[in-house]
Amino acid sequence: MSEKHDVGGVPTTGHVWDDDLGDFTNQPPKWWMLGLTASAIWVCVYWLYYPSVPVSTGSTFFKGIGGWTAINEMEADKGVVDEVRGKYEAKLKDMTPAAILADGELTEYVTRSGKVLFGDNCAACHGTNGVGTTDKQGLFAPILNDDDWLYGGTVDNIHESISSGRQGMMMAHKDMLSAAEIDTLANAVAAGTPTATPLFAEKGCTACHGEDGKGMAAMGSANLTDKVYRFDGSVEGIKYTIEHGVNAGTPDTRVAVMPSFKAAGKLSDAEMKKLAVYVYKFGGGQADAPVAMEAAPVEAASAVEAAAPAAAQ
Amino acid sequence: MEATQATPVKYDMEVVRWFTIAAAIYAVVGTLIGVYVASELAFPFLNMDLEYITFGRLRPLHTNAVIFAFGGCALMATGFYMVQRTGSTKLWSNKLAWFTFWGWNLIIVSAVITLPLGMTTGKEYAELEWPIDILIAVVWLSFGLNHIMTVAIRKTSHIYVSNWFTMGMIIMITYLHVVNSMAIPVSLTNSFSIYTGVQDAMIQWWWGHNAVGFYLTGGFLGIMYYFVPKQVGKPVFSYRLSVLHFWALTFGYVWLGAHHLQYTALPDWTGSLGAAVSLAMIIPSWGGAMNGMMTLSGAWDRLRTDYILRFLVVALAFYAMSTFEGPVMSIKTVNALSHYTDWTVGHVHSGALGWMAMVAYGAMYHMIKKLWGVEKMYSESLVNVHFWLATIGTVVYVVAMWVSGIMQGLMWRDYDEYGTLTYTFVESVSAMHPYYAMRAIGGAIFNLGAWIALYNIVMTVRTASAVRGANAVPANA
Amino acid sequence: MSDHDKIYSTKFQDKIERSTLLMFVMSAFAVAIGGIVEIVPLFYLPNTAMTGGDGTYNGTQHKDLNGNVISMDKIVWNPATSEHKTLDAWQPGDGVRPYTALETAGRNVYIREGCFLCHSQMIRPFRDEKDRYGHYSIAEESMYDHTYQWGSKRTGPDLARVGGKYSDEWHRRHLKYPREVVPESVMPNYFWLENKPVDVAETVKTLEVMTIMPFNPVPKTIYTDEYIAGATAQLEGKTDMDALIAYLQGLGNHVKFEEGVNYRD
Ligand code: HEC
Ligand code: HEC
Ligand code: HEC
Ligand code: HEM
Ligand code: HEM
Ligand SMILES: [Ca+2]
Ligand SMILES: [Ca+2]
Ligand SMILES: [Cu+2]
Repeated sequence: MSEKHDVGGVPTTGHVWDDDLGDFTNQPPKWWMLGLTASAIWVCVYWLYYPSVPVSTGSTFFKGIGGWTAINEMEADKGVVDEVRGKYEAKLKDMTPAAILADGELTEYVTRSGKVLFGDNCAACHGTNGVGTTDKQGLFAPILNDDDWLYGGTVDNIHESISSGRQGMMMAHKDMLSAAEIDTLANAVAAGTPTATPLFAEKGCTACHGEDGKGMAAMGSANLTDKVYRFDGSVEGIKYTIEHGVNAGTPDTRVAVMPSFKAAGKLSDAEMKKLAVYVYKFGGGQADAPVAMEAAPVEAASAVEAAAPAAAQ
Repeated sequence: MEATQATPVKYDMEVVRWFTIAAAIYAVVGTLIGVYVASELAFPFLNMDLEYITFGRLRPLHTNAVIFAFGGCALMATGFYMVQRTGSTKLWSNKLAWFTFWGWNLIIVSAVITLPLGMTTGKEYAELEWPIDILIAVVWLSFGLNHIMTVAIRKTSHIYVSNWFTMGMIIMITYLHVVNSMAIPVSLTNSFSIYTGVQDAMIQWWWGHNAVGFYLTGGFLGIMYYFVPKQVGKPVFSYRLSVLHFWALTFGYVWLGAHHLQYTALPDWTGSLGAAVSLAMIIPSWGGAMNGMMTLSGAWDRLRTDYILRFLVVALAFYAMSTFEGPVMSIKTVNALSHYTDWTVGHVHSGALGWMAMVAYGAMYHMIKKLWGVEKMYSESLVNVHFWLATIGTVVYVVAMWVSGIMQGLMWRDYDEYGTLTYTFVESVSAMHPYYAMRAIGGAIFNLGAWIALYNIVMTVRTASAVRGANAVPANA
Repeated sequence: MSDHDKIYSTKFQDKIERSTLLMFVMSAFAVAIGGIVEIVPLFYLPNTAMTGGDGTYNGTQHKDLNGNVISMDKIVWNPATSEHKTLDAWQPGDGVRPYTALETAGRNVYIREGCFLCHSQMIRPFRDEKDRYGHYSIAEESMYDHTYQWGSKRTGPDLARVGGKYSDEWHRRHLKYPREVVPESVMPNYFWLENKPVDVAETVKTLEVMTIMPFNPVPKTIYTDEYIAGATAQLEGKTDMDALIAYLQGLGNHVKFEEGVNYRD
């Protein structure tokens, strides 16, 4: 019945389906049969070497004779990288941020290793390289590559900002002040001369922003004389800030929350120190100890930069 | 006259015709959604701020459309076609087959409605909510029962190899679907898996991998085993190879699921079990690829003229390629790099576009000629154009994802000379942009091919029906 | 000339090929084994079979650097032994706990939106993942996750430890318009989540269902009747956005990890 398939002398099995389907009785190629056997052996060897057999041995499972575990592998891999960065990290461990800043080699190390730390943890709020992040609602968090600081720009101030977080507070004034008063104050602030109006002292602004309106680093109140604005710097924007306050607990208040990276356990002590130095080296760090050598190059993120308010001088 | 000869009355082929046309339509739809989701990653504004087409909601629609709508209809069309012809018998129940057809399409329509609305169980490839899951179980069993009973009433002494694969698929998919979909509902449109964490993960990937292994691979190997020898007009190269690789695959594939979970919070033994058998699966997989290729040997010259054969050959080549790639990706050190990256997506689509879709089209063109009793497709040169678009589209897609995937993996783990990470995550996101655009283009090319195929098929059917109408042959489906 | 009755494989194989039933049974058997071996032990081997929350841990244990067993109550929050007795009093580091009502609502949103298709929640034990995302994930951390959310693709970063990393306000603004905050992002805009009130009834039902799950249910000592009764008040007036943010902020800070301890054993 299936003679027509007997090409090359190999017979078919003799079974025929659907008029002309059949199968030859060719042997599978040698290499394939060898491969199949080798595969079976391979599986057995692998199962013995690697932890593969799900039988309980006390509190865990049979581990295989190779002693491989994912954790062991990670520990071994750590060694390789630790060799390179180990000597720096060892030094960093017991140093203050200021001391790191005084050490040229470590500063170089930190500025290099800070890039990804900053990029993965901080840039979301402060923008790539600290240029600030601006969306429809304005600047999200302070610009970090200028020399205007809410909480002070020494490396220790910066370190404190990172580890403890920041949450500046200004109450809403819309019920305390008349529209006209707010208008006057806002215009004075917009002109960079808040003290020009007596209201500034009368209404208690000085309690937080100081007699001179230059702000107090201790509570993170803004300097109102430098025309560098943390929030919207237009007269309307300033009015809004005065009316609704900052972190005042109302739904329409301005919000400014810097998470504590220590409390949340997101970064190690060494990482926070590195970041303090890294941010300081953006160029706006304020001398306390050594003076910043030169402004760190602000590259990329041109979109953010373009969108950032002219504040960043 | 010819018409009735080509589709003899002894078979129930009307339902096969409908499944075939449905497959051709769903291929267009599924890949079109694929192109759209791909474009959303390249150009996020395409989301157009519509909640129903965000990436997270549209992607499951894509996977469901290509796997269950396109793949499913192709499997059921060929399944019903092959089981009758290889058993020289009508379907066990033609009525039940129609139930399967309408049931399956109802499921697809439900998916199209519920997924964009965000009704999902959150399990990959098993997103559909519980009422639809129940429907799937019922319809799938109706297909399975009909298929197996038709095998049982066959007139041939032995069961043809294609049907081994289809039966294996039916059984395994039933296990998988039932176990993986176990959930407690909180409403008609929301339910929660009864498993948690590690167990849920393992069960999900036991499902996930074997949906690939038995449905997109086993099922389509069954198709290959019928249509390659049919198209070449020669018996299968080696019966023994069929037997050995069938059982090796059937027994072995089941173990692979854990390769999706290496280094995760599962115990080490699970990943190792999966990895070991995954590597061992190269040989059984290549057994199938080779059996197909060797069946073709001696007919190589026909490749110049036989476009259907071209689809089948390229499919086998991609099958061999992706079943080599998969095992390589299962090696612990490789998976450490490839997992979570676009490399996986590239691998998926070399299997899905290169293997599964190509075989499906080869089979569909072959069947259409037989089902409508025509000598040629409406346009043979359009088949050729489709072939090239599909091949080029697939290559562009896969190459883009290889580059982006490996780049992603390397960027994430790159350390500079100071021993600290070199790239931020966001830098890796922007580095992907050109490749995401390239993938969208590759996908669009493939999709264009699918449109052409649909046009060609529709025109072939219309011409055939016109001829049939003119000859006034009674429409005895 | 082929011989019809000659068998080219084995007698048994030939028998299988002749019999639909035998083919069915053999296939059904062959495909069952791998899955059973891989899945079933996860339900009873000690290192994954924690039942949790009420002190019944099935022998699951981790050891500190000196080889002493770390009390499981430090890893899985057990109100009976913890100094914080209720879900509302729970503090980060107290151990893995089930989700609060608001977080549960947020988790439903997370699943609904398919965030897991772009974000993994599974940090692997690699040096680079530790440097980028923090401590590797452990089995206990997803023990209450009915439908786990580990994901399989990182189009966006891993979120397993995103809790506490940003402020609520940042999440709000980022989720609304990701590209305004991160210009390179490819994440969809989710501003419309703010217009959707939380589905209170469904969330409360979800809490109830979690206590009757056959595997790793939430103990009734945690989702107490009072807690479930009070859930409605917690959810009233909240939007899907609030809920989603609450869920994100709760991710990954449950366990206080000690340096050097192997938590995968
Ligand atoms: C969730 C958003 C967010 C993240 C993440 C964030 N910050 Fe901040 N950061 C803020 C906000 C908001 C302020 C202002 C707080 C205020 O006004 O009281 C601030 C303030 C600061 C300040 C004080 C600025 C000044 O003018 O005194 C420094 C320094 C700082 N952040 C550094 C960092 C570093 C370094 C990181 C990463 C480890 C970081 N921030 C992560 C939001 C964030
Ligand atoms: C309780 C202390 C407090 C009082 C009182 C107070 N402020 Fe403030 N103010 C702050 C703090 C803190 C900030 C910085 C908020 C931040 O960026 O986190 C601030 C910020 C501002 C800003 C925004 C500056 C910028 O850079 O955008 C303006 C404008 C302002 N205050 C005006 C006033 C005026 C006018 C008054 C009096 C009516 C006043 N404040 C009273 C604490 C106070
Ligand atoms: C199309 C893919 C995509 C989808 C869908 C998506 N995301 Fe994202 N996500 C990203 C990308 C890319 C980033 C990194 C850039 C950025 O921060 O926006 C990201 C970042 C994030 C981050 C910041 C993580 C970090 O550590 O910086 C959070 C939180 C987040 N996504 C939450 C979500 C949630 C919640 C959903 C679902 C409602 C979601 N994402 C859906 C792609 C996506
Ligand atoms: C025009 C052709 C296609 C395009 C452009 C396309 C595009 C895409 C995109 C963009 C994704 C999401 C990847 C990601 O999350 O990063 C995806 C996923 C997927 N697609 Fe396609 N697709 C196409 C055809 C197909 C076909 C024919 C199949 C057949 C089965 C398929 C199966 C899948 C699967 C299984 C996934 C999930 C992959 C994973 O989770 O790793 N696709 N596709
Ligand atoms: C022996 C053959 C194969 C092996 C060993 C294998 C192995 C793998 C591996 C290791 C992954 C990546 C898992 C991860 O890291 O997350 C993967 C993913 C995948 N493979 Fe394969 N593969 C094989 C064949 C195929 C074929 C032929 C197809 C196509 C039809 C396919 C479809 C998929 C899909 C859809 C995924 C994505 C799963 C996800 O959503 O993450 N595989 N495979
Ligand atoms: Ca500043
Ligand atoms: Ca996936
Ligand atoms: Cu797999």
